[in-house]
Amino acid sequence: MPSPTDDETPFPALSHSASLSALDRSHLSPHDAFTYPLRQAYDGDGAADPLSHLRHLKDDRSRSRRRKRAWKKLMWVKQSYPDNYTDQATFLENLQRNPRLKPYDFWPLVADSTVILQHVCSVSLFVVCFVGIYQERVSPVSLVGGSTFATFLGWILWERWVSEEMNQEEEVSASGIAASATKSESIRRRARAASIRRPIITPRITSVTPSSSSRPSSEAASSRPSAGNSTVNIQIQIPESERLRTSRPAHHSSTTTSPSSTNSPASPTSPTSPTSPTSSTSPISPISLKEPSQNATGADGGQPLLRRASSDVIPDFAPIPNEANRLHQRLGTIKSAILIYCTLLGLSPILKSLTQSTSSDSIWAMSLWLLAINIFFFDYSGGVGAKFPASLSTNAALMASTVLASRLPSTKQVFCLTLFSIEVFGLFPVFRRYVQHRSFRQHAILTVLLILGAGWGVGVVMREPSPDYWPWKRGLGGMVVSVLIAAIATGGCSWWLIGLQRYKNEIRGPWDPARPIIMSRQRWEN
Amino acid sequence: MGRKTYNIAMVSDFFFPQPGGVESHIYQLSSKLIDRGHKVIIITHSYDDRKGVRYLNNGLKVYHVPFLVIYRAATFPTVFSFFPILRNICIREQIEIVHGHGSLSSLCHEAILHARTMGLRTVFTDHSLFGFADAASILTNKLLKFILSDVDHSICVSHTCKENTVLRASLDPLMVSVIPNAVVGENFRPRDYPTLSEKGEGFRAEPSPRPLGPHDVITIVVISRLFYNKGTDLLTAAIPRILENHPNTRFIIAGSGPKAIDLEQMIETNVLQDRVEMLGPIRHEDVRDVMTRGHIYLHPSLTEAFGTVIVEAASCGLYVVCTQVGGIPEVLPSHMTTFAKPEEDDIVAATGKAITAMRAGKIRTEKFHDEVKKMYSWSNVAMRTERVYDGICGTISEEEFYGFDTTGYNGSRIRDFALIDRLKRYYGCGIWAGKLFCLCVVVDYLFFLFLEWWFPRENIDICRDWPRKSPAKDTAQDSMKVAPNQRSTSSIRVPKLDR
Repeated sequence: MPSPTDDETPFPALSHSASLSALDRSHLSPHDAFTYPLRQAYDGDGAADPLSHLRHLKDDRSRSRRRKRAWKKLMWVKQSYPDNYTDQATFLENLQRNPRLKPYDFWPLVADSTVILQHVCSVSLFVVCFVGIYQERVSPVSLVGGSTFATFLGWILWERWVSEEMNQEEEVSASGIAASATKSESIRRRARAASIRRPIITPRITSVTPSSSSRPSSEAASSRPSAGNSTVNIQIQIPESERLRTSRPAHHSSTTTSPSSTNSPASPTSPTSPTSPTSSTSPISPISLKEPSQNATGADGGQPLLRRASSDVIPDFAPIPNEANRLHQRLGTIKSAILIYCTLLGLSPILKSLTQSTSSDSIWAMSLWLLAINIFFFDYSGGVGAKFPASLSTNAALMASTVLASRLPSTKQVFCLTLFSIEVFGLFPVFRRYVQHRSFRQHAILTVLLILGAGWGVGVVMREPSPDYWPWKRGLGGMVVSVLIAAIATGGCSWWLIGLQRYKNEIRGPWDPARPIIMSRQRWEN
Repeated sequence: MGRKTYNIAMVSDFFFPQPGGVESHIYQLSSKLIDRGHKVIIITHSYDDRKGVRYLNNGLKVYHVPFLVIYRAATFPTVFSFFPILRNICIREQIEIVHGHGSLSSLCHEAILHARTMGLRTVFTDHSLFGFADAASILTNKLLKFILSDVDHSICVSHTCKENTVLRASLDPLMVSVIPNAVVGENFRPRDYPTLSEKGEGFRAEPSPRPLGPHDVITIVVISRLFYNKGTDLLTAAIPRILENHPNTRFIIAGSGPKAIDLEQMIETNVLQDRVEMLGPIRHEDVRDVMTRGHIYLHPSLTEAFGTVIVEAASCGLYVVCTQVGGIPEVLPSHMTTFAKPEEDDIVAATGKAITAMRAGKIRTEKFHDEVKKMYSWSNVAMRTERVYDGICGTISEEEFYGFDTTGYNGSRIRDFALIDRLKRYYGCGIWAGKLFCLCVVVDYLFFLFLEWWFPRENIDICRDWPRKSPAKDTAQDSMKVAPNQRSTSSIRVPKLDR
């Protein structure tokens, strides 16, 4: 008959050394949740020495096993333990702390934070330009002329980069398809399902480190040849870079032909030259999307009708000459630019008198808030493919520029400021993203230029213009200050963030809702 | 010496006429406690025209207190407004123990706080699992910590739930008991199960297992609310693949919810109208009739504290395929279930295995009902809950209740009612929260003194009790020394402790 002391065995002594070295241990033990004072009297010196305590535990358990059945974490078994029994060995054993913690490194963090810096600098440049126009130090026409010229240059650069990148991608996609065509049917189906499932993921750089200075998206794609399909398929969805569609000859012909003619996998593609006449892709994305999904159901559902139907679609794709299409698109861009120009010209008188009945103080306060909204809600993580991502941010910025412009006295100034704001808030971020995507060095140079420019501008407009001082002196001072502030802000904040990681305590366990893994979710929805 | 009986008030926002797991838990537990000689009343808020006092079966008295309902039958959290009427009820009914249910019920939280102020013992039962990440959980967890820092004992429905509650509310694990839900065996009989009268006559032989031929249709039943966290997405993805791999199978899906439209779309896309039957919402009484139409029960939930429905399904003689999440792995023995990871592929594979095993006749589902009836019964739940009451009221000694490890605060786990000790417990809840909670408790105490002066105890009538049943013979202590499991299939034999 067990005496009361034997009954004690299921409750082995807890050592309440509250040393929560969180990073050493992967899971909590009960006294992490509940810390009460050390019990020297009960444990003797067993509590002080962890090793002897462990031995104590072990003894306890082996003794109890001899005596009773081991406790099981089951409810359908009638156990000889009380309901409030807490098993030391299994209690909270599935608890995980910070399971996916990825510690930050200092320099990559600083490099990533330059994106924010760039945006803040361009916003302050805009404000400086407004002040310049408002105080009539800068001629609005020359400002807008210069910025328009810069925008035009940027556009041409951007065009060139995009076309270069597309050529690279073509090669990759051709090789990727050649590789994947030989794989089994199920893998191809899966890749296609994946490509349908994530339609707007674009190849974006994951980390901008000084070492990986130029990292074209083709690298990421080529590392997973079977996913080459999906990378290409995705691009079709991006409406902004419409010309991407045309120069993608390899993909569609191969997805449609590969189920039937796997013997000549690379034959329909000659992707190296962008002017290749075999570029049979049509820009109709709905069809191109629906077709693989039908094919997928056909493949595993054994529905030959659908498959035939999808193969009937192929000949309808008319080959479009690549160069002509690109020209067409350039013309389209120029046309819309002229349209915006004319609209702004017409709207300027209205904008000028928009807030006449509002006092200037309210306007300053309001534009400050709007610009703050722009900075806080800007999509800093957006990749190259992101179209106009943060609409709240862009709208806030344009509204700020509108209300600021309505303070200006002449129509010409209003027009110039609004046009300038469109260039700064609408187009410049796109360019910046592409620079960051292409090479870290150019990105860094752009950042430095922006910081210096913003510092100089702020320094100059700080004081009223007067004949007896040299603006460049104040400008230089501003530059120095801005560089200092930028260094402190990026470095200090990165350091702070790394320091704060110590307090991160994410608890995961079996009680969290599981994340379902569904392979073919989108198959039914398209 | 006769066994001590108690006057217990169950407090929860969730009670009939609203259907649900917590509701039936409260009802069944109260009913069984009354059978054991206790006096039980239920306090809940008013539902539509249901206000005031009602009597249910077995002399179970229900107080429907008029309160503003804000979201899914939960009342608006006003910290003190419940106090006057709760005090009135408790004095009128001579309540000794206040037992709250459901961590999202503000009525329950308020009742526990005020009951402690009035010097009553409190128990809290947690029925659900919460994460730690999202804002709603953080708020609920803080609130739970506030309430549970002074509760006498907590009850959880599964071991996973206990771990979760211990972490959420920073409790002493020994002050949390695990007492599962149960099913009413008579309501979940298999299709060919002999009724009681037939059994009594002893004529009917054991129903011979009807082997399934390779061309017999196997029906898979799914009964769940069609929400994201019930895994309806997994179901939508898995059904076409299961039906494709196994020709002679069909599905019956009961329940409604926002994800029903996805299921319907899936059926139409794959032209499965003749093989998937969607019944829409069904009442709890009809669950058994739906279940007995099938052979396999599929439960793709993503989170589950206990999963009463799989016990019900097993009790109906269905083989259970379920995801291995939350407390589900603890609930049923392995010969009744196949577990799957919450992944589409794994669910398809597990269901395929179950279908193959059913066709091969490897699963003796006709024995499930009797086995489940032995595992889960409400009278057992009531017996184990009674032991908790005994423990907190000091009927059984602290050493016996908590084991020898009697080192809570101040060397004891008995929560005394001195205000300063209560304040100490609340103060430890957090830097700011602790002070706020202390403030609440002090105000609550002053409010209590005011009520004592304004509505003196002597002026409150004591209501007459419903005639009590004679207490059951077995004492609470025996409940722990349960008889060894008699089932031949179980390999675990529990040695009897003699004391």
